[in-house]
Amino acid sequence: MQSFIKVENLTKSYGGLKAIEEITLEIRKGEILSLVGDNGAGKSTFVKTLAGAQLPDSGHIEIDGEAVRLESPKKAEFYGIGCLHQGLGLIDTLNVPENVFLGRELQKKVLGIFPQLDYQKMRTETRDLLNQFSIKLPKLNDAVVNLSGGQRQTIAISRLLLQKVKLVIMDEPMAALGVEEGSKVLNLIEKMRSESVSVLIISHNLEHVFKLSDRIAVMKNGKLIKVLEAQNTSREEIVKLITFGLS
Amino acid sequence: MSDSLIGNADRKWLFQGLGLTIVVIILAILFSLINPKFATITNLLNVLTQASYYIILAVGMTFVIAAAGIDLSVGSLLALITVVSFELIKNGLDPILGVLLMFLMGGTLGAFTGYLISYINIPPFIATLGIMVSLRGLALVHSAGKMHYGLPESLTWIGQGDIIGIPVPVLISLIFTLFGAWLFNKTKFGLHARSVGGNREAARLAGVNVNLVEILVYSFMGLSVALGGLIMITRIDSTQATIGTSMEIHVIAAVIIGGTSLFGGKGTVYGTLMGAILLSMMTNALVIAGVDYFWQLFIMGIIVLIAVTINNIRDKRFLFNSKP
Ligand SMILES: Nc1ncnc2c1ncn2[C@@H]1O[C@H](COP(=O)(O)OP(=O)(O)OP(=O)(O)O)[C@@H](O)[C@H]1O
Ligand SMILES: [Mg+2]
Repeated sequence: MQSFIKVENLTKSYGGLKAIEEITLEIRKGEILSLVGDNGAGKSTFVKTLAGAQLPDSGHIEIDGEAVRLESPKKAEFYGIGCLHQGLGLIDTLNVPENVFLGRELQKKVLGIFPQLDYQKMRTETRDLLNQFSIKLPKLNDAVVNLSGGQRQTIAISRLLLQKVKLVIMDEPMAALGVEEGSKVLNLIEKMRSESVSVLIISHNLEHVFKLSDRIAVMKNGKLIKVLEAQNTSREEIVKLITFGLS
Repeated sequence: MSDSLIGNADRKWLFQGLGLTIVVIILAILFSLINPKFATITNLLNVLTQASYYIILAVGMTFVIAAAGIDLSVGSLLALITVVSFELIKNGLDPILGVLLMFLMGGTLGAFTGYLISYINIPPFIATLGIMVSLRGLALVHSAGKMHYGLPESLTWIGQGDIIGIPVPVLISLIFTLFGAWLFNKTKFGLHARSVGGNREAARLAGVNVNLVEILVYSFMGLSVALGGLIMITRIDSTQATIGTSMEIHVIAAVIIGGTSLFGGKGTVYGTLMGAILLSMMTNALVIAGVDYFWQLFIMGIIVLIAVTINNIRDKRFLFNSKP
């Protein structure tokens, strides 16, 4: 399989702490790659550099063979990378369509010249998007602050469907989701693969990891210690790697 | 109704706006009963005219506070740009250019404030406190002890003229409020300002250019100061380095009484309008009743504290029942 993105020797420190160190990895077209590791292993830090949320201190990133600099989320989006960030999906004070379309708003012209947000269209499209999942939201116009964790997560995930993505990154997408909502998201991920979108998933749930993944990458203390074909490994092996590393 | 000017994020704002409107009306009736002088058309238009520059500045401040910021420098900025332009106009600069210069200075200095807050990462309170003191200093360097007066009639019309009996300042402030409400609720700029105030990092990750948004928000505040300042100096046909002292308190108070959350992320321009009118009405009634200026300040402070408390009860942001 061809690779979509290749990273080489990616390193990022926070003060004295090396959150990720010398990470080298490729993500292939149309594969589902899971990233696992203990709390604080550096998973979120790694995907933030792929999503343009922060620049690495050193290292290279190549997309379709071309060296790129992902200095902003917009730049990553330009290259077809969409990301669901852990815990930073929604803005409490905005309503549902505002959250879904934030950063890529639909506009119309009033009086022929003044650009204005097209709330009606954004509401309709939001409803269509959310219909693909099984959540029922009574009022799209209310601030999302009072929605349940699963409802919020689903709204955040639905944002990804608005982009023309080649690589979708999801940091803990199943967290907070109920059984039905969770299985819809699993279906969505498999559908993406069938459309040869690459998917990078971070999850602590090994059942999901094994159900979905083509490959599994294990991180420990900021380092990528091993990448395995899902078929050729077992839960026991993964758990052992997560806990004890390579030794 | 979701397309109303009262706020998209939450329909509760509609009721809040109505609630405040009712309070304003009840107070107006109360003041009229206590003192018939209050109820005259002349006095009511006078209240609105006095409110006009506070309304305009408070509309700008609604964006700042909704973006989780604060701007303490508005009074000093008003002083600096009005003394500079006033003197230039007196020395023969074309009045239109003089007015444009005010807007240019207001917008640019506001953008500079926004730059300090976004790129240099200075907390808004500290950044604008510093700007407040230094701009007041500059205004005093330029005009200490000087009183500028005597503008051309083409300009004084802005502050003193009327159109079919309605004072021009009142018309300008109402049109500006409508514009502000549109900008706040209906445009990308307004949405981005609210998103930055709601959760700056989440907004950044969603692709909002948060630094630019903050610069634009403070720049818009500066433009509002220029417009408010223009009305103020053309109304009294004078200005001096000490003009606008402690104006920021009045302006911030109007926004808070209007119901905009000090915690950022949401707000209401219509509420701000009502808040500014309510404050001016109070002040006017207290003046008519012969209450001392210092007591007026005391009462205004108390009203602000009550308003914040009411906002917190509304947002359930209370001791053990805290919600973001
Ligand atoms: N902005 C930051 N500033 C300082 N340290 C940070 C920052 N972000 C992450 N870290 C540190 O970097 C390390 C890696 O964090 P990261 O969030 O990448 O872990 P993770 O693998 O995603 O963990 P989890 O499974 O708990 O989400 C941790 O030690 C964390 O404390
Ligand atoms: Mg994480």
